[in-house]
Amino acid sequence: MKKSILALGILLLGVIGTNAQKFSIENVQKVSLRNSDAIKEGSEVKGYYFFYVSDKIDKKTNEYTLLVKDNDLKTLKEVKFQDTKHVSILESSFNGTDLIFLLYNDDERTFEYQVYGADGKKKHSYMRQLTKKEERYLEATYRSVNDDEQTFKGLYPIEGKGFISNTPSREDKDYTFQVDFFATDKKKTWSYTPTEGGKKFIGDYLGAYNGVAFFQVLRYGGAFDQKPDSYMIGLNMETGKKIFEKPTDSKFRFYPASMSLINEGKAYVFGEYFDLNANIMKDKSKGFAFWGIDEKGTVTSEKYVSWDLDMGKYLDVSSKGKIDDFGFMYLHNMVQTADGKIYAIGEGYKKVASALGIASKILTGGRGGASALKLKITDMLLLSFDSEFNIKGAKIYDKNSNNVELPNGYEFVSTPLMGKMIKYYFGEFDYAYTQVNGDKTSFTVCYSDYVRGKDYKGGTFNSITYNEGKFTTDKINTKSDASRSSVLPGKQGQVLIMEYYRKDKRLDVHFEKLN
Amino acid sequence: METMKGRLFFLFFIAASFTTAAQLQPVFNFLQDDTVLKKNYFEKAVQQKTAAINSLAKEHKDDYKRIYESRFKEIEELLTSSRSLTATEAHNYLQSIVQKIITANPELKGLELRVIFSRDCWPNAYSMGEGTIAVNAGLLVFMANEAELVFVLCHELSHYYLDHSGKAIKKYVETVNSEDLQKELKRLSKEEFRVNQQLGKITQSLVFDSRSHSRNNEAEADRQAFRFMKNTGYDCNAIISTLQLLDEVDDSSLFKPLNIEQAFSFNEYPFKKKWIQKESAIFSQLGEENSLLSKNEKDSLKTHPDCSKRISLLQDSIKAIGNSGKLFQVNESLFKQLRKDFIAEITERCYNGKNLSRNLYYSILLLQAGENTPMAIYSISRCLNEIYEKQQQHKLGFTIDTENKRFPEDYNLLLRLLSKIRLDEIASINYYFCQQYQELMKNYTGFAEEMSKATRFKN
Repeated sequence: MKKSILALGILLLGVIGTNAQKFSIENVQKVSLRNSDAIKEGSEVKGYYFFYVSDKIDKKTNEYTLLVKDNDLKTLKEVKFQDTKHVSILESSFNGTDLIFLLYNDDERTFEYQVYGADGKKKHSYMRQLTKKEERYLEATYRSVNDDEQTFKGLYPIEGKGFISNTPSREDKDYTFQVDFFATDKKKTWSYTPTEGGKKFIGDYLGAYNGVAFFQVLRYGGAFDQKPDSYMIGLNMETGKKIFEKPTDSKFRFYPASMSLINEGKAYVFGEYFDLNANIMKDKSKGFAFWGIDEKGTVTSEKYVSWDLDMGKYLDVSSKGKIDDFGFMYLHNMVQTADGKIYAIGEGYKKVASALGIASKILTGGRGGASALKLKITDMLLLSFDSEFNIKGAKIYDKNSNNVELPNGYEFVSTPLMGKMIKYYFGEFDYAYTQVNGDKTSFTVCYSDYVRGKDYKGGTFNSITYNEGKFTTDKINTKSDASRSSVLPGKQGQVLIMEYYRKDKRLDVHFEKLN
Repeated sequence: METMKGRLFFLFFIAASFTTAAQLQPVFNFLQDDTVLKKNYFEKAVQQKTAAINSLAKEHKDDYKRIYESRFKEIEELLTSSRSLTATEAHNYLQSIVQKIITANPELKGLELRVIFSRDCWPNAYSMGEGTIAVNAGLLVFMANEAELVFVLCHELSHYYLDHSGKAIKKYVETVNSEDLQKELKRLSKEEFRVNQQLGKITQSLVFDSRSHSRNNEAEADRQAFRFMKNTGYDCNAIISTLQLLDEVDDSSLFKPLNIEQAFSFNEYPFKKKWIQKESAIFSQLGEENSLLSKNEKDSLKTHPDCSKRISLLQDSIKAIGNSGKLFQVNESLFKQLRKDFIAEITERCYNGKNLSRNLYYSILLLQAGENTPMAIYSISRCLNEIYEKQQQHKLGFTIDTENKRFPEDYNLLLRLLSKIRLDEIASINYYFCQQYQELMKNYTGFAEEMSKATRFKN
C-alpha cells in the first residue's frame, strides 16, 4: 500500500503519457521503494518517511531519495544521496526538535544514525560497527519476521537532547545488549554494554527521568540459568556512566515493563509481580506492581495490586468468568490523565497445548519441529487506578483470539519473558499503540481484531478512547471494496487509511478520526 | 488549457436542494441555473470534440484523441455540474460584456464560444482551448469593477483567439513522438546505470521548455488582451489593478479573519482550547531555501510570468492611451449585486461539491460579517450535521482539507479544530449552536430539520 503512494507520486512526475508502442519517461524510469514508516515522537505520529532507490549509479552504488512528509502527508523535504546498494532504513524517531534515521548497511555491518535539525538540515551522522552477534540478532528478528511495518524498534527519543538506542545481540543462547546515546544539540555519543556478574543479559529501555536513562535487566549466570537476577540500572545521560543498579526483588519478584512520568512528573516503573519463590515458568503473576523511583535508583513508593483481592473486585461477573480464559497479562502502556487517574492497558496471553506441536513431536520423536505448546493471544484489558495506584476499575474488551505456534524449546521460556518475546520477537500482540493528547484529557488505545460476522468477515482496526471521563469504542473494517487497503497510525485519535483500487489505478488516502 | 493563475481542482457534483415548506421562507434565494442552456452548451461541446477527433490526421491520431478526450472530461464535469452558473440574469450580463468585446473587435466574430461564470471558490479564470471559457465566482468577488472583468475576459479570449491551447497540444505531441526523444529513451531503456538521472535531465528540459512557452503565451495573451480592451471603451488601467489583484489575491480576504472561539463558544458548552492546540512538528523551522531547486530553476518552472513583470510590459502602452475609458458600461448595480450573491453561491457550491471544511469556513465568515445571516446559520448547522455523519462513517477525510501553509491562518485553525474534535463534541457544538439561533430561524425552511438532527446526534 505504501508502495502505491510512491508509485503514484512518481507517475505524476512524468510529463509524457504512456503508450505501449513507444517509449515514455515513465516506462523507462526505474524506482523502487525500500522502506517507509510513520515517524513518531513517543506514541505520537509526526510524519511519514519513504526511502527509495531513485537510481542505480554503478554495480555497487545506488542513488537514494529520502522523502519526509508531515502528518498531513505534505512533503517537507527530499534528501538525495549516493551510497552502497546494501543500505536500508531500519527506524526513525523524532524528539520534539530533531529527527533521526537509522540506516543499516548489511554488507559492511554498520549502523549509521543521521540526525536532521528543525531547519531540515543534516546536523550529525554517527557510525557504529555491528558485532557479529548483533547482526545475528537482526537477521533473526527484524530481517526474518514478516512484519508489515518492517521496523526495528529500539530507538527512543529524549526530548530536545538526543536519542537512546538499545541494540540486542544474540549468538545461540548467548544474549546481551548495547545501549547508545546520540546527542542532537552537539555531536556526542556514548555506549554501555553490561558485563559484570553474568553471561547472558536481556535489557529493556524503560524511560528517562531527570537526566537518567532507566533499563530493566535480566542477568543469567549461565546458559541454563532458570532464575535470572532481575534488576534496574540507571545510566547518566550525559556520560553513559552507570549511576545505580537496583534489584527488583523485594517483598515480591517484580518485572518492570515500562516507565511513566505521572503524579506531577514523578517517575514510576510498573509491571507484573510474582511470589519470590514462584516458578515463573508456569506460575501466574500475582498482579501488578508500581514503584515510584528517583534518579538515584531509590524506590520512593511501592504498591502491589493483586489479581484476586484487588482487580477481582472490579471485574463484573461475566468478566470474572473470563479471567481464567484471559491468561497472563502483558502490560503495554500506562497513562495518567489530567484528572490524576491512571490507566493501564494490557493484553492477555496464555500457553495452550498445540495439536500441531504434539503431532510434530510424535513425528520427529520429540527432537524438533514445533513446540507442544502454542500461545493464544486473548483480550484487551483496561485497568483504572487513582493517583495512589488503588484500583478503581477493570474492564475486559473482547476480541478474537489468535494462536502463535512456538518453535521447539519454548515450553521452557518463563512467562514474563514470553510476553516480551510475543511483543518483540513474534510481533503477535493485537495491540498497536496508545496515543495521548497534549493536555492529557483524552487518549486512544488502538488494536487490531478479526470479525467473522454475517455482514462482514475480515480484519478490523479497533480503538478504545477516553475523552474527558467517558470511554467509547470504535472500529474500522480494514477489508473494503479496494484491491488493497491498510490502516496506519496518524495524529492522536486519527488513522491514515489507504485504499488502492487496482482496476481504476486509484489510490484513496484519507485521515479518519476514531470515534 | 490556459488559466489565469494556473490552478486546477477537481470537485464532485452532487445535486442538492433545500426542502421547502409552504409557510416558511427560504434561507436564501439562490440563483437558479438555466438547465436548457447548460444542456445546449454541453451538446455543443460534445459536437466540437467529435468534430475535432474526426478531423484528425493519421499521424499521432491516438495521442491527440487521448488529449482531447481528457480535456473533454473536464469540460463535461464543469458543464454538467452545479459548478457552472447559468442563471439567466448573471449569464446574460456576462454575455453582454463578451458581446461588447466582440463588437469592438470584429476579428473575434464567428468564434464558437461558451463563456460562463463558475461557482468555484478559487480566484481564477481559464480557457479550455475549444471555446469554453470560465470566470470563477471566487475571482469576481474580489474585482472592483466591470473593467477588471473585461480584462480577464479579453485575456482568456486572447488565448483562444491565438490558439495557445491547440499549439501547446501540437508541440507536446510532436515532442513526445520526436525521433530524437524516442531514440534517447530507447537507448536509456537498455542502460542499467544513471538512467533516472538522465531521464531527470530530459524531463527538466522538457518542463522548462513547456513552462517557458506557457509564460510567453501569457505575455502574448496580455498584449492581445490590451489590444482588444482598448477598443471597448473600458478603462485600461483596470489591467494594472487586475494584475495587482492576482498577485495579492491568495493573501486577501473579503471578511475579517474568522473568530473560531467566538463561533463555537456557548454558555452551556464553552470553547475548548485543546481543539486548536498546536503540536510539535518535524522541521518546524524549515525555510524556503530547503528546495532542491535553484532560484533560476524555480523561476523556470512558473507557468505565468510574475505579475510585476506583466504590469511592466504593458504599463507604457496603457499610459499612452490615457484615462479615457469607463469602469462600468453594462450594469454597475448588477455587477455589485452579483459580487455579493456569488459569495453565497460559492458557499453553497462547496457543500454540493462535498468540500465541507470550505463550506463551514465561508458560512461562519458570512455569519460573523452579518451577511446573509439566515443562510449562514442554516448552512453551519447542516454542515456540522454532515460532518458528524461523515466522521461516524470514517469518511470525513474525503470532505475536509488539511492544514496547509498556502491557506489563510484562520482557515488552518478551523481545519485543526476539525481534525481534533471528537464525534460527541461536534454533536454538542451543533446542538448549542442551533439552540442559540432557534428563535431567529423559526420561520426559515430547513432549519428545524437540522436542529432536530443535531439534537438526535447529541443524545
